[in-house]
Amino acid sequence: MDAWVRFSAQSQARERLCRAAQYACSLLGHALQRHGASPELQKQIRQLESHLSLGRKLLRLGNSADALESAKRAVHLSDVVLRFCITVSHLNRALYFACDNVLWAGKSGLAPRVDQEKWAQRSFRYYLFSLIMNLSRDAYEIRLLMEQESSASSRRMKASSGGGVPGGTEPGVSGAPGGGLPQLALKLRLRVLLLARVLRGHPPLLLDVVRNACDLFIPLDKLGLWRCGPGVVGLCGLVSSILSILTLVCPWLRLKP
Amino acid sequence: MDAFIRFTNQTQGRDRLFRATQYTCMLLRYLLEANADKEKVVMKLKKLESSVSTGRKWFRLGNVIHAVQSTEQSIHVTDPVPRLCLTLANLNRVVYYICDTILWVRSVGLASGINKEKWQMWANRHYYYFLLLSLARDLYEIALQMGRVSRNKAKRKTSSSQSPRGYSVVDEDTEWLQSFLLLLFQSLKQHPPLLLDTVKNCCDILIPLNQMGVYRSNPGVIGLGGLLSSVAGIITVAYPQMKLKTR
Repeated sequence: MDAWVRFSAQSQARERLCRAAQYACSLLGHALQRHGASPELQKQIRQLESHLSLGRKLLRLGNSADALESAKRAVHLSDVVLRFCITVSHLNRALYFACDNVLWAGKSGLAPRVDQEKWAQRSFRYYLFSLIMNLSRDAYEIRLLMEQESSASSRRMKASSGGGVPGGTEPGVSGAPGGGLPQLALKLRLRVLLLARVLRGHPPLLLDVVRNACDLFIPLDKLGLWRCGPGVVGLCGLVSSILSILTLVCPWLRLKP
Repeated sequence: MDAFIRFTNQTQGRDRLFRATQYTCMLLRYLLEANADKEKVVMKLKKLESSVSTGRKWFRLGNVIHAVQSTEQSIHVTDPVPRLCLTLANLNRVVYYICDTILWVRSVGLASGINKEKWQMWANRHYYYFLLLSLARDLYEIALQMGRVSRNKAKRKTSSSQSPRGYSVVDEDTEWLQSFLLLLFQSLKQHPPLLLDTVKNCCDILIPLNQMGVYRSNPGVIGLGGLLSSVAGIITVAYPQMKLKTR
């Protein structure tokens, strides 16, 4: 009980719960439609989903300030690539929240002349840019960690075998052109194994990658770039919401710059 | 901006801000309604008020557990009168939140067979009992504080050995009222959390009294009362030392 009180005292936690519920409704609605459930039940689920969506927009009023503050903090990072990726991501997020606030004003009747479709497209575009920046940052971090890991393991190999045999991750360059394809496949396999080891050793990074990858499907579908259907969108949204709730419950799982 | 973000990161902070907005809209609507050419503005204020009020329901979901936890904590209060008042108040709060959740279920269309008026009346009644018991506790604490302040004053008077002023019997009643009010003012000045809590409960109690029809006031008074209590709530969230602590 105490854990719920502490968790729900954060406004972001409540918003994430609503998001999880919204995408669960979307997934459930799609499943019910596929299995031919009663139209009344489908209508109820759709109504709940729209209530959740509008409620979340109200809960998110003021998040632009939070995103701008995060962008301001990110400007002081030492690494140039991280500084660029994180700052631009937060700025795009701030713009996404600003468009979302305009959409709320339109939906709640404060500004009835707002073109819902135009502003929705705009908001999803900023959201997509923010996710692309997040994924670029993740890719950069993975690359850094993979380089670190491979140089560490080659040092270990050299130290253990006395420097005779070449390192395990970098196969010998002595392969003839004729044996290029199997060698390429081996290289690729080793790279994938290294990636898996790096991600297994850094759970916050793994969580962030999966979360951003799942989130990516939502704007891609809504902008019409890659129509995956409401089922996939619902599932991805639900998975990413659950993962972000996990980072709120366990703060050590959050990726720190 | 950092303080604003820390404030809005708390659910209660955001909820109090939205509540202040909701009751400001109610107050402004009352003030501008008489004006014929402000019809559009009044319409927009009404829409904002209703959408904020609907949206605030999301902040209240799950507060049943908060109220149950508060009930458990109030059972361990040392002083018997606050223990009784707070425990009963929190029990009423639990019932209020249960009614509120049921009303929410109906409002999102999940269960249409719910009698909205009946549950609304129950919610209002239990919210009223909660506020009444909280006020009873506040009055008890004020009485304690006044006793403390008057004992300190008496101690200071005897130590400084002042000669008592002579006064006539006619002035005795007004003199008593004046000194009582002065003592009340001094007690509350020395104990700001108690003042804030009393003001909050007094302003809040107008809302269920109006909705139950016991004491009907106009939307302007309700709006002003709601706004004052929301501002008091914002102060207690922004400055946690201003929250009335239980011993």
